Amino acid sequence: MADASIEFKGTSFTLSVLHLKTSELVDIRADLVKKVAQAPDFFYLVPIMVDIEKVACSINYQAVKVLVEEFNFTFVGFTGSIDKEQRKLIRELGFSFVNASKVDTSKKTAVTDEVLVEKSNQVDVKIERKLFSDKIHRGQIRSGQQVYAKDQNLVVIGSVSAGAEIIADGNIHVYGSLRGRAIAGAQGHHQAQIYCQNLEAELVSINGNYWLSESMEQHWGSPAYIHLTGTELTSSQLI
Amino acid sequence: MENTRSMARIIVVTSGKGGVGKTTSSAAIGIGLALKGHKVVLIDFDIGLRNLDLIMGCERRVVYDFVNVINGEATLNQALIKDKRVSSLSVLPASQTRDKDALNKENVGKVLEELGKTFDYILCDSPAGIEAGAMMALYYADEAIVTTNPEVSSVRDSDRILGMLSSRSRRAELGLDPIKEHLLLTRYSPKRVEEGEMLSVEDVKDILAIPLLGVIPESEAVLKASNAGEPVILDTESDAGKAYQDVIDRLLGETVDFRFLVAEKKGILSRIFGG
Repeated sequence: MADASIEFKGTSFTLSVLHLKTSELVDIRADLVKKVAQAPDFFYLVPIMVDIEKVACSINYQAVKVLVEEFNFTFVGFTGSIDKEQRKLIRELGFSFVNASKVDTSKKTAVTDEVLVEKSNQVDVKIERKLFSDKIHRGQIRSGQQVYAKDQNLVVIGSVSAGAEIIADGNIHVYGSLRGRAIAGAQGHHQAQIYCQNLEAELVSINGNYWLSESMEQHWGSPAYIHLTGTELTSSQLI
Repeated sequence: MENTRSMARIIVVTSGKGGVGKTTSSAAIGIGLALKGHKVVLIDFDIGLRNLDLIMGCERRVVYDFVNVINGEATLNQALIKDKRVSSLSVLPASQTRDKDALNKENVGKVLEELGKTFDYILCDSPAGIEAGAMMALYYADEAIVTTNPEVSSVRDSDRILGMLSSRSRRAELGLDPIKEHLLLTRYSPKRVEEGEMLSVEDVKDILAIPLLGVIPESEAVLKASNAGEPVILDTESDAGKAYQDVIDRLLGETVDFRFLVAEKKGILSRIFGG
């Protein structure tokens, strides 16, 4: 067989991480019930990592896996800064252990081999991509008006006036001038972006990180899009 | 006249910001339409701060007003003041003593319906602001003349009013065709635009994105006309009078080139000879 049928590549994924603050499974379960009840659809089959940094020595790993699967999460593996022995133990039990690729941790050398998720168990690793439908607004959005695309992208065919506010849980596209406020990824979506044909916004915000107009000088008055690089907003030219 | 009685065009003259020329424009447009042979009624919606009758020069003939009609204290015929210059024009003055709460949708609707039986055009001169009085003036409108000065705050307020027109009017509430919007740029000074002190026609059009109905140049004739109670459109020699005349033609569906958009270039000769 030639190599062509498969290929190995390194890719980063965004995964939800469940941080455990106690090893008391009863408490964890009670809190999960509350959390999941708030947005059952949102969590359904979401791939999840469990951070056990705070509870590493005292927890039953198998029970944790069973617990999160009971809530319809897709269990991927464990994560957190724990000692080598512990990691070894987790892997011997047949679970994946993945280090978060934080730049500030001292384990830079370890990142390369540990980022690959080991498929020792029967977990389908799915990419967590939020797929939003589009809310399409035709016409100008004027001063004093507010448009919110809940759980959607917002597409505006027209301009957004100064003093207007557009909000989307997904991306924002403005086929016109963006002069008002634009808030994308409003409920926490790091990959959300803001596109416009003419950037003259009062404020842009993605996942809680915002810029006032003075920060937009580089692409002011031209077609541009705004996105997050880490936690920094970045503007780029839109061709 | 092609208009049938039931098809009166209700036009609100509005702006959001005060002092931009709503009443001046209402008076000029009212007279202009009437001079073309249309039956026109001008209604002053600025209850408590009545001005339209002053600009129209009929302040001494006010006996009954809009609020008297609403309250059933007078009939429309008693309250309407026929213009002495153009007989097809009438004014329904505002009350100076009441406040804006005197009006409500139902009663205003009845008065407009009654006026629609007689008049071709019902021009509603809106008060400034976005409060109840302004909302009442625009509620029944079929068309809106958004009066704007070429400066940022006025444009911003006009933008806000345009939002109201598309969400708070009767047409919006009933899901009918939207109000037809017209941009009327007043107090325009091409010279100051060139010097960068004022927004240009293009800037304003770009921000508000509605069709341009007219550009009225800044003119001393306007103040003179207001003080004299002679709407400036009657001053056919003035730039402002001519510009309002163009507005009338455009309202009646004609295509007219825009005038007074560039500062008069002083040639070398006129500079030397002071021409």
